[in-house]
Amino acid sequence: MKIVIALLQVGFLYILFLAGEFLQAKLSIPLPGSIIGLLLLWGLLSIKVIPLRWVEKGAYVFLSTLPLYLIPATVGVMDYGHVFVGKGSLLILITIVSTFITMVVASLVSQSMAKRNVKEEGTLS
Amino acid sequence: MNTIILAFTMIWLTVMLYFLMNAVYVRLRSPFLVPILTTTIVVIVVLSLFHVSYETYMVGGKWIDALLGPAIVSLCIPLYKQRDIIKKNLLPIFGGVVVGGIVGMLTGVLAARLVGFSTELLASILPKSITSPIAMQIAEELGGIPSLATVLVIIAGLAGILMGPWINRWFKIDTAIGQGIGLGVGAHAIGTSKALEYGEQTASMSSVAMTLSAIIGALAGPLFGIWLFP
Repeated sequence: MKIVIALLQVGFLYILFLAGEFLQAKLSIPLPGSIIGLLLLWGLLSIKVIPLRWVEKGAYVFLSTLPLYLIPATVGVMDYGHVFVGKGSLLILITIVSTFITMVVASLVSQSMAKRNVKEEGTLS
Repeated sequence: MNTIILAFTMIWLTVMLYFLMNAVYVRLRSPFLVPILTTTIVVIVVLSLFHVSYETYMVGGKWIDALLGPAIVSLCIPLYKQRDIIKKNLLPIFGGVVVGGIVGMLTGVLAARLVGFSTELLASILPKSITSPIAMQIAEELGGIPSLATVLVIIAGLAGILMGPWINRWFKIDTAIGQGIGLGVGAHAIGTSKALEYGEQTASMSSVAMTLSAIIGALAGPLFGIWLFP
């Protein structure tokens, strides 16, 4: 029975994704259907149209295996070996260094702002 | 080979290797053995050994890829459950995402320009921190190569999850918000898959960062590019 419920919820999440794709195409929203689906679900949960327990189990099926669904895309790198020979290899280096700087800055900015928040309000998050 | 058998073989290969690599990771816990990286490498090696093209692989791969959409929708759950903490930290989240996003685009494009890469390549590297469907759109609008943009997005994501633990240690990033925002801003969905390992709060921060980056990127990315290379 648990499996049936989880599968029904997986199906429901898929429908939300399709709804996101549909809205994207109909209204030409410049966001991927998956993110529109996420925002849609957020909206439905917030206004209490659907309770959390209708989707929670299905969502954890996906979240516990999230990296798996990214693999077909990452394997696509195999077709780009030729781009990264010679000077092209610098593209990889630049991407890595820039990502490093991006993450350090993003982490430091949000963390220090959050810690100042805590000090001013005296509340712990 | 029969298409159905081929598709099943590719799906089986990917799923089997993923769970195998996941078991290795759980056992050894080395940050270099994250299953998304090791599985990708092993799948590529196997395909190369048997002279199977990516196109052929995707006959089966596309079925796994089709589940990425609802998996991204599922990220709403940690987001929703942690909504009070997110509301309380709206400004720090926004600050980290906006500043980090700008730094990401600037450093990538400026370094590539310094090396003397063409505008086509500058436009392809600009959106590398943003989730790939958006990155492709931005690259295309600016005259870049969408498929190359996707590859750079993936490299950024994989590099991000490898560097994350070091960054956290070296720069004393010891809060869920700091760690989550870094992964989400620099490494999008791949980073968020890593953030799930740290717990629900970090995952929710990473999801917010990824989603906000996508929204801001979709709106401001092209403008930013026009300003950087008119």
